[in-house]
Amino acid sequence: MALLEAENLSITFGGLKAVDNFNVKIEKGTLYGLIGPNGAGKTTVFNLLTGVYKPTEGKATLDGTVITGKRTIDINKAGIARTFQNIRLFSQMSVIDNVKVGLHNIYKYSTASGIFKLPSYFKKEAEMEKRAMELLDVFDLGSERDYLSCNLPYGKQRKLEIARALATEPKLLLLDEPAAGMNPNETAELMDTIRFVRDKFDMTILLIEHDMRLVAGICEELTVLNFGQVLCQGKTSEVLQDPKVITAYLGE
Amino acid sequence: MSSKPKSKLLKKDTRSDLITYAMVLVAFAVVEIIQATGSMTSLMRGLLVPLCMYSILAVSLNLVVGILGDLSLGHAGFMCVGAYASSIFSVCTRETIENPWIRFPIALLIGGICAAIFGILIGIPVLRLKGDYLAIVTLAFGEIIKNILCSIYVGYDSKGIHMSFESESSLGMEMDGKLIINGPLGINGTPTDSNFIVGIVLLLITLFVVLNFIHSRAGRAVMSLRDNRIAAESVGINVTKYKLIAFSLSAFFAGIAGVLYSHNLNVLAATSKNFGYNMSIMILVFVVLGGIGNIRGSIIAACVLTALPEVLRDLKDYRMLMYAIVLIVMMIITSSPKLVSFREKYGLRQFIKTKMANRWTKEVQ
Ligand SMILES: Nc1ncnc2c1ncn2[C@@H]1O[C@H](COP(=O)(O)OP(=O)(O)OP(=O)(O)O)[C@@H](O)[C@H]1O
Ligand SMILES: [Mg+2]
Repeated sequence: MALLEAENLSITFGGLKAVDNFNVKIEKGTLYGLIGPNGAGKTTVFNLLTGVYKPTEGKATLDGTVITGKRTIDINKAGIARTFQNIRLFSQMSVIDNVKVGLHNIYKYSTASGIFKLPSYFKKEAEMEKRAMELLDVFDLGSERDYLSCNLPYGKQRKLEIARALATEPKLLLLDEPAAGMNPNETAELMDTIRFVRDKFDMTILLIEHDMRLVAGICEELTVLNFGQVLCQGKTSEVLQDPKVITAYLGE
Repeated sequence: MSSKPKSKLLKKDTRSDLITYAMVLVAFAVVEIIQATGSMTSLMRGLLVPLCMYSILAVSLNLVVGILGDLSLGHAGFMCVGAYASSIFSVCTRETIENPWIRFPIALLIGGICAAIFGILIGIPVLRLKGDYLAIVTLAFGEIIKNILCSIYVGYDSKGIHMSFESESSLGMEMDGKLIINGPLGINGTPTDSNFIVGIVLLLITLFVVLNFIHSRAGRAVMSLRDNRIAAESVGINVTKYKLIAFSLSAFFAGIAGVLYSHNLNVLAATSKNFGYNMSIMILVFVVLGGIGNIRGSIIAACVLTALPEVLRDLKDYRMLMYAIVLIVMMIITSSPKLVSFREKYGLRQFIKTKMANRWTKEVQ
């Protein structure tokens, strides 16, 4: 059975069908791409999958359990983590603290042991510190650990967001335009990082992207959305050859 | 590469905390020395407990305003709850528990817990809302609590507890009845268990709890809500839970400050001067001027702004003018971009940061 299955997911915003009958099956370990013109409904699909919006119709299952209707935090605990199109870091917190917030539900100790510095505080904090540094080092952010996250350059902010999402130990990682605003060098480096993350963390990744080189370079399968509807679905090479997709992108 | 700054962070937080504790202890020592040499005026002596009280209030409000990032204008209301609850307890048990070493700690717990319960009761419906609703509702709460306590008559006799909103005589108590809350005249005969040393100890406890909370897992969760609620939810942070924890912890210490206040005076009455919204706003001014989210700054601002009008008493009419000037100067110091960057440039912490930044640029090239 596929890791993520969405069946007929739909949502309407005051008459506008932002997502209409969205179906997808993503197998474990896949690098899956979601593409489409501006306003096609890609981000809305992410918001439906993570419980930010409740679908008007349809359902989604992760690893066999239904996730539609659950709260965002429960969906995260069930195993979906995401990044945002317009970066949402904890801007007034340090780089490492951003990752530690991601580790919140992994290394637990009670509020009281934190206040009174009981042994469990020191034990869990040390473990958390170690794990957070490992994650930061994957993204080459180790030397900026004490920076306020808002002071990081743009490309590094995007990486930090991925590190924070990975910290929650998800089964499925959703990346919303991870290469937006990056120069070609940074994009190439990001492609390597995404592949590396998939291999090292044995991760399934669904990503939205406008950069066709990145999509063609790393995605194994694709879904193309247009006006909220699935236009085409399948192996990357085949989808990108499809005349319908070419028209949707280039116009008539 | 990453091993070097590692120990630095742990040290940085703890070092900053230690400076704060040290500051309080040094202030305590200085005051004790002045007192020992006998050169302290009675005016100054009367200010000592209020200074501790205002510091506790400012630190605890900073937890909501600076760490949680919500605006609360009802801090005096929580203080009022703590003051009344503990005073009622102390007045009733004055004869049964004679030892203040036992009575006062219980009074503290009662005052703090009652205030925290009110914090939770108000927090549950309100913290779900966004924006300014919290400010409006907490403001209203503070005023309502103050007005209720200002007009209630409570007494007890062999038949039980009596309550009325009209007058003492309408309580209809037996001969052996004892009046506890006498309407606008409030509570009479609270044992004066507070003193400067108690105030300092309570301030240190408040600092210990608040600072440790901020540096713990829960504190980070609260700050993540402040910085970006949607992102916090996406990594599994329970919004309601952590907002309530921060809010009730803050109310708890406001209650503690109330206990300190009510046990410093013999008579406790709710007036708009001590528990009204003016008070709440004044605490907010301490927090804002001390730097939002800056715990040490809150204490400094609270002390400077409380002591100043008294110290300047000799200036008579120019007193409030001076006060206003100090307010403006402090505001400029804490928030003018030029001065902030000056401080950061020459501050110790920034020195370390610049060094790291230089190394980073080198790595990139
Ligand atoms: N909360 C909302 N209320 C009303 N309309 C919305 C809402 N969210 C999204 N929409 C609309 O749904 C449509 C799809 O938006 P979405 O953000 O999913 O597009 P997208 O494919 O991510 O586009 P882009 O490539 O620009 O990010 C748009 O027309 C948008 O205006
Ligand atoms: Mg989008």
